Amino acid sequence: MPDETQAGEESAVNRRVVGKASATEREPNSSEKFSFWLRAEEIVNPFDIVEAGQMADTKTFGLVTNIKQVTDAPSHLSNYISSDFGSTEGEPQTPRQGANVAEVSVLANYDPSEPKRYPMGIYMPVQSDSPIRFADEAGIHVALGIDKMFEYEKEYKEKVTIPAGLIQMSNGTKVRVYLDKRYVLGPEGAHVNIAGISGLATKTSYAMFLIQSILQTVGAKDIAVILLNVKQNDLLVIDKPRKSVKPEEHELWEFLGLRAKPFENVRYLLPWGKETQTTGVPNCFGDLPDQFQTYAYSLEDVVGNRANPGPGLNLLIRVPDPWDTLGALIGEVQQGVSNQESKWKTVTTWDALLNGPPLMDRGIPQGVGEVKASSVGRFVRILRRVVKNRQSGLFVQQRAPRKACNLGEEIRKIQGGQTTVVDIAKLTDEERALVFGHIIQEVYGMYAEANLEDRPDLPKKVIIFVDELNKYAPSHRGDSESSILEYVLDIAARGRSLGVVLISAEQFMSEVHGQVVGNCATKVIGRSDSSELSDASYRFIAQDVKAHLTRLDKGELLLSHPIYRQPVKIEFPRPAYQSIGHERTG
Amino acid sequence: MKNPFEGLRPALQVIVSEGKVLPATGQAVEDLMRPDHAEVIDSLRMGDDKLMEVLLETPNRKPYVELKPVYRAERHPLRYFQDGSARTFFLGDVTEGVRRSPINVAQIGAAAVFRKDNGQVNVYHAIHQIVLMMDKKAVSFGDRVEELVSKAGARFKFHDTMELDGETERTSPGKEPRSRAAHKAHHLMAQLEDELGRSLPREKGQWLVLDGSLGKDLHSWRDVSEFIGVTKSFSKDPIFKIPGARGGQVANLYDLLAGLPFSARTCAFSARSGKIAVWYVRLREQKHMDYPLMGVIKVEYPNPAAEAIPSQIIDEISSALVAERQVTPHGKDIRWHAHLYAIYLAEQAVKNGFVSTEALKAGLKWPTQTAGVTVS
Repeated sequence: MPDETQAGEESAVNRRVVGKASATEREPNSSEKFSFWLRAEEIVNPFDIVEAGQMADTKTFGLVTNIKQVTDAPSHLSNYISSDFGSTEGEPQTPRQGANVAEVSVLANYDPSEPKRYPMGIYMPVQSDSPIRFADEAGIHVALGIDKMFEYEKEYKEKVTIPAGLIQMSNGTKVRVYLDKRYVLGPEGAHVNIAGISGLATKTSYAMFLIQSILQTVGAKDIAVILLNVKQNDLLVIDKPRKSVKPEEHELWEFLGLRAKPFENVRYLLPWGKETQTTGVPNCFGDLPDQFQTYAYSLEDVVGNRANPGPGLNLLIRVPDPWDTLGALIGEVQQGVSNQESKWKTVTTWDALLNGPPLMDRGIPQGVGEVKASSVGRFVRILRRVVKNRQSGLFVQQRAPRKACNLGEEIRKIQGGQTTVVDIAKLTDEERALVFGHIIQEVYGMYAEANLEDRPDLPKKVIIFVDELNKYAPSHRGDSESSILEYVLDIAARGRSLGVVLISAEQFMSEVHGQVVGNCATKVIGRSDSSELSDASYRFIAQDVKAHLTRLDKGELLLSHPIYRQPVKIEFPRPAYQSIGHERTG
Repeated sequence: MKNPFEGLRPALQVIVSEGKVLPATGQAVEDLMRPDHAEVIDSLRMGDDKLMEVLLETPNRKPYVELKPVYRAERHPLRYFQDGSARTFFLGDVTEGVRRSPINVAQIGAAAVFRKDNGQVNVYHAIHQIVLMMDKKAVSFGDRVEELVSKAGARFKFHDTMELDGETERTSPGKEPRSRAAHKAHHLMAQLEDELGRSLPREKGQWLVLDGSLGKDLHSWRDVSEFIGVTKSFSKDPIFKIPGARGGQVANLYDLLAGLPFSARTCAFSARSGKIAVWYVRLREQKHMDYPLMGVIKVEYPNPAAEAIPSQIIDEISSALVAERQVTPHGKDIRWHAHLYAIYLAEQAVKNGFVSTEALKAGLKWPTQTAGVTVS
């Protein structure tokens, strides 16, 4: 916990007045907003947090949302005429009178007196001519509601503050911001969603930073982490320190009360590929981690058996099925194979399922139960494409347990303090859906159905990180409809009480199912374009603030958290592991 | 917010209790002067100078002198700009027997701004006063009202509308008290301007530009140097004898200014027996204006010695004035084409210090009389 002086105590004397509140006939100040004019040469930026003198010697904090320059020119034509009828030469003898005026959204009111005279705060409009200063760190914590987290920690002796990054203000002030554990890992709220343009929003880096921050501050021993690697070998070297961590990066980590270190106790699960049988090399990008396991799917792994139900064939069939014909057939197949019913006894491999009875007879589809032969033919065509023709090698006829593991079994082995990376970077979309679906099914099953007495070794919390969430929980049901959606919705809705936390990322939040986004208590947004921001998913951001999101720099993010009264712009240190496998430890 | 007119309440109470008040309809009504008041004043002050035939500069004898604008980066003589403003409100009439007096309240003020090397303008000083005006001798309680106002504080003044001052009699001839009030207010404003102008800490070479025609106050400014008066609305009456071949020619103002090129000045004429030099400067190209007289300012330069002024000085001042054409209060003031922006800012400094008309109407109410009891 940083040294918390009373908000604003560094005080007036040291912090200069940068301007004064201004209320006019047309733009009055209100309980929610106020404006202030800036002293000449003074610079503020959107997202700076300022402190205004308020009635009864209290202070009102606000977030700068926009800055305008007002002049006494009633029209652009007047400026044109004033410039000697459009002359671009020379400088005006008397520059036009103008003032920079900042618009501010009220965050909080702070009463430094003890006991508080106004327990509810004073939300009178900031009075015209009230002095405005940059807020200091303690003030910003009050403004955002972070001070309440410190009060809770003090009262209940429980660590709840998770460093989330820092706010850099125009006057050079750096302020640590924290997330409240109760709203990240449950039970009050859970889940983090990160959106933004690929390559600029640094979504994966922020997720990794946040997970590190969670592990380092609120109990690594009780938390298991499952990461899905979707791009190159980005997350396949997270246990290796990054060689090029600069001293200033170390300082930044330390400023946040964290250590710049790679992940510890990591195990890697890499997919089986077409060449793996002969080369022994899994189907992944870049150099292999020092230690890893390979996973593959035989028919039994997908369908499952009585003791261990598999993820199900339905995860592989991602086509519209309005009459549930395919669903009925999948049910028949699942039941027959897993129960080893008489006519399905010979069906032990993918080839047997796709080419032999009871679905096929000498290349001709056969009706199964009430499902007609034509629908069976469709099912076989789709499944053949997924597990045979277009597969990456993940699907095997028979899985040799010594060479490749069952992913579900490995997921069930997760432990607190352990990070499991499941590589899906080279898999097809259907295979990715299967793997992700399998993981969340297993985790959900473990936590939803577990009796703590039966599983004392079960980590208290499990964090699952997945990129491209829109593929698994799309906002519109369509061609790529996935039955994973149901599982994702369950996790989103019940995860906070179960202890299953989804940290997800995607380019466009608008493409993710509304219920999933809605259940994410913490939202992080990187650079996004204006058309995306016009979507209803971004309603929680004020219109003025949205405009600034289109020009966030790489590494700058907008952070919205239930405790905060307004979203804030943050920066964060780069992860200290080898974020891209191209870098070598040397 | 405290009522800014609270100080006048005791005086108004005396008026209500001692006389019979016939209030203005509704609340206080702004007593507007003619919009071209400056022109009227200029016309009156020009007095007998209807024919300007003597040139008061040397060595120039040409009717028009072309100028190169001198911007402040090169030379920056015009540093202080001063303006005053007066706003008069009619509160009603008070009657006592057969005698009556209009009651007016005026807000008057003056401000001087200083322009720094970088062109930025700061208000050096601004003075504001609230003046209660009535015909003191028309009613028996005039002295009591004056006394009460004098005790209300430095911001409040009392003025007898009918008191002779030598200026109002010229600008508002006739004895009607209500019509004199606005002119009286302007006269009082001129006194504030005088006070302010003298107090400016000007260094040598820092010229002061006054808004409007130089009045009789000029005589009391003998000891004040390096200032000019600039008029944007001026009298159209004078006739000029323009120098030229065969003794030159006589022209009216329209002819004189129609021939005045852009970024040029006329020759300097003698006014008030040589005590003032007068010339005109064209700030804007005629092609951009509707009318030849637009975009021209009249400059008055005090010349107590009544000797010919070096043309170089007139050129330097005029060149600096031409540079003032950027920027303009276009869209804010119909006289933008001849308005110096720094003067406009001084004017704004004065007007922004006035209590708004809405606040004045709300704050200046007659104390109510109910069953013989005055309710405040």
